[in-house]
Amino acid sequence: MIEGKLVDLVPFEDDFAIHMETWMNEEAWFRARLWERREPHTEDDVKKFIEKMEKSERGALIGFQSKDGDPIGGVIFDHEWQRVRKADAMFFAGDTRYEGTDEHLDGLLMLLRYCFETRNLHRLDASALAFDEVRIDLLRRAGFVHEGTLRQHIRYDGDYVDVEMFGILAEDWPGYEQKVAALDLQPSGIEPKPKPEKKDDKETEAGEAKS
Amino acid sequence: MLEGLLVDLVPYGKRFMENAHRWANNDSGFWAGMGRREFVTQAQIEAEYREWRESNRPETGVAFGVQTKDGKPLGYFGINFLSYHSRVANLGANIGEPDYWGGGYGTDALLLLLDYAFDTLDMRRVWLITMTLNERVLRQMEKIGFLLEARQRKATIADGVPYDVVVYGLLREEWPGRVAMIDRLGLRAR
Repeated sequence: MIEGKLVDLVPFEDDFAIHMETWMNEEAWFRARLWERREPHTEDDVKKFIEKMEKSERGALIGFQSKDGDPIGGVIFDHEWQRVRKADAMFFAGDTRYEGTDEHLDGLLMLLRYCFETRNLHRLDASALAFDEVRIDLLRRAGFVHEGTLRQHIRYDGDYVDVEMFGILAEDWPGYEQKVAALDLQPSGIEPKPKPEKKDDKETEAGEAKS
Repeated sequence: MLEGLLVDLVPYGKRFMENAHRWANNDSGFWAGMGRREFVTQAQIEAEYREWRESNRPETGVAFGVQTKDGKPLGYFGINFLSYHSRVANLGANIGEPDYWGGGYGTDALLLLLDYAFDTLDMRRVWLITMTLNERVLRQMEKIGFLLEARQRKATIADGVPYDVVVYGLLREEWPGRVAMIDRLGLRAR
């Protein structure tokens, strides 16, 4: 675990995976994974995605949760290019109640912290659909610099939408502590989701009832 | 086969593979790989080729070999990856024979590939990236009418120096067609 101001980074365990089938079918997911075809994700697709990220040598899927342990979503670094020490930065609030909150922003800041301060990367790339003001605002507040626009790059809801390109260099990053102090992050006060019942628990209970 | 004035685009088959090892290890790899210098063995090349043959082409991309009009293999030109639903194709190229740089061979190949992307695959946008050190490609982009869409700061390193990576895009309505472009550029068979 790496502890942040409003969120902590944790391994993407079952308490996250259990939400992933819902999360990967939300519109927010497709805005975050903007180059992917927008198609329904079955339980099996979700499992394969998580396994792919677990096996990846050039990336990782990391969970981020509120201070009281409520799973919010995931941060991903991917396509790490070792020679240049750069990677693609991706982040999503699967629990859409957190969309655009300071917890969502802190998830992104924690990804930057991990990539720059622990993994010693030199640069991160990020992109957003031109109409996705929430994502663009989060990227800018995190310190990403707008570096250009790919015209009519993605088919989305009947339009060919521009993609805004962003980048941040290690030298742009003041360090997590300074960044958080400057942004004055405030908790949103969103109530934690009820913990879903675990399958194992049910089976145990059923077993006990029988005996 | 796509027939040009100076080159033809043909399937990237065995004749090209026989040269791929040399091309991967010479200066062309440096330019195509934005500063990459690698030591690639014959076995690695063959493994990559097998993997590539088994991948889901042409859903994911299209590879052509570039050869002179008398059949000498020069390198690779192709679509690295594409999206049929966004109708966007990312282009890549490597003229592996340095003697053929600057003679219009790459430009001729690119015009064939653009026609193929727009008219055959019905793409509505093509794009590519290079590093700012690669002035030959920057000039080519200007000449053909690509728009500089993004500049990614220090996104690669070449011989110890960080360079920006530039993204160029061309929309179908900006493409006058191969014949008009040949005329505009004054490209001639020889």
